[in-house]
Amino acid sequence: MTKLTNAWVFSDSEARLADIIAGAKALADQVNVFVIGAEDKITKAQILGADKVLYLGDKDSARIVEDYAATMASAIEGNGLVLMANSRRGKALASRLGIKLNAAVFNDASEISIEDGAVRAKHMVYGGLALGEERLLSDIKVVTLTAGVFEPAQAGEAQGEAVNVAFVEPKGQIKCIERRVKEGESVDLSVAKKVIGIGNGISSQENLGIAGKLAELMGAELGCTRPIAETEKWMEKERYIGVTGVMLKPETYLALGVSGQIQHVVGVNTAQTILAVNKDKNAPIFQYADYGLVGDINKVLPALVKALEA
Amino acid sequence: MNIIACYKLVPEDQDITVNPDGSLDTSRAEFKINTFDLNAIEAAVDIKAMQGDATITALSVGGKALEAVKARKDVLSRGPDSLALVIDEQFEQALPHHTARAIAAAAQKTGFDLIICGDGSGDLYAQQVGLLAGELLEVATINGVSKIVAATESSITVERALDDEVEVLEITLPAVIAVSADINNPKIPSMKAILGAAKKPVNAMTVADIEMTQVPALAETIAVNAPKQKQRQQIVIEGDDDEQIAAFVAHLRNAIN
Repeated sequence: MTKLTNAWVFSDSEARLADIIAGAKALADQVNVFVIGAEDKITKAQILGADKVLYLGDKDSARIVEDYAATMASAIEGNGLVLMANSRRGKALASRLGIKLNAAVFNDASEISIEDGAVRAKHMVYGGLALGEERLLSDIKVVTLTAGVFEPAQAGEAQGEAVNVAFVEPKGQIKCIERRVKEGESVDLSVAKKVIGIGNGISSQENLGIAGKLAELMGAELGCTRPIAETEKWMEKERYIGVTGVMLKPETYLALGVSGQIQHVVGVNTAQTILAVNKDKNAPIFQYADYGLVGDINKVLPALVKALEA
Repeated sequence: MNIIACYKLVPEDQDITVNPDGSLDTSRAEFKINTFDLNAIEAAVDIKAMQGDATITALSVGGKALEAVKARKDVLSRGPDSLALVIDEQFEQALPHHTARAIAAAAQKTGFDLIICGDGSGDLYAQQVGLLAGELLEVATINGVSKIVAATESSITVERALDDEVEVLEITLPAVIAVSADINNPKIPSMKAILGAAKKPVNAMTVADIEMTQVPALAETIAVNAPKQKQRQQIVIEGDDDEQIAAFVAHLRNAIN
């Protein structure tokens, strides 16, 4: 694989910067990192391996991150890859850059490689039934990357230069009039080693409480299927597992009352061990499980708690 | 206010099968309105209710699936006042940069104050068509809209739920927004709405009608294949007596230690 000459990196989440820089270094010779915000973030990018920091300045609170698309585009030229986090902001920026730079845009890449100067990337399509692979042919290619594709870059000695990039006013007008920190604790299931998944078969909120106890005993995080988060609204959206929710890479996944639709299962498929409890012995989840128990959740769940307490 | 609600017809997931070589067979799948786009249509209906003086046009760009009368009635029964379609063979399996250029051209033709799209489509889930179209039209464009707070003739105020915070945004029209799947619960159309749908106007346009500009070759699809499944033990214990639960617990302990 011949590397590209240039990569431009941006991550709106500090947690993702290290793995995106690692990806950029694997795919290109020169890694340029866009930094917005306090000046100490420049050093953070440099110790993770940025060859050049493109500093966009501290952010006015009425501006949103996406307002910097025109500014970023002004600093990108020639051939190469723009690599960003697959967050909402990353995706919004990606599309804006795609038009400004006449570039291909590819979201949620779970695999990425270079072939004859073109970028090949894969992501889930048809609700997780398949992987779609595209060849990106434009001079500049814009890709948002799934977490976990590259091992995060380790912090080292700060290197490289930092240059200021002047702000370019965006065309459309969006004004941020208020920011609220999200209520409830924020969870990042994608880094959890053990996860319990809750499906409709959990049948009551009381059982959900017992599942919480089991999670504590196992040292696991709680996740759920889409209906539990979006229809029942029993759990936060950040906990819903699947192609359109969070994609997990746990060591152990225990599915409780999860039927096993492909859209959910693809979110846990890479787990080393999958266990499942369901009352229906024909539930598809058992095809994806290493160990299954066909039984009544009302009986099994308290028994699991009791067993692990012992 | 002129609102355009965009939608795509996608093959029903449940009816897609995987061929032995890993490719997908969608030939037996019925085309239905992409679930995420039902949220876009519902958001348009909500904004119309908020703003009063508004009309909603449902817009779709696609291949021959759009010719089906049933699917046309389905979308019109959900609240739009009229339907605009751009039908051409080139849009079968079109990639986002291609579809977005058609949507932008069609919207320019019909006129708009606000274009509403869903989060992505159930088939390709590229999550960019609306955003690309907005950028092509050089208007304010944003994704992840999770609540419509207010709407006036010249602007809308929305909430946008992100991983770390909620932004409250005042967006000057014209604009393009992509709404998240939890913004609303789309209503099931009433019998009256279903019957009324047949009387609503349908504007079927061709590529020539919308005067679409040249589409650059930015990307191509190489393959769509079912991934290889990891081999699983598939040891299933039937029954929930103490003994069986104990056997399951043993496996669970092994896995977590």
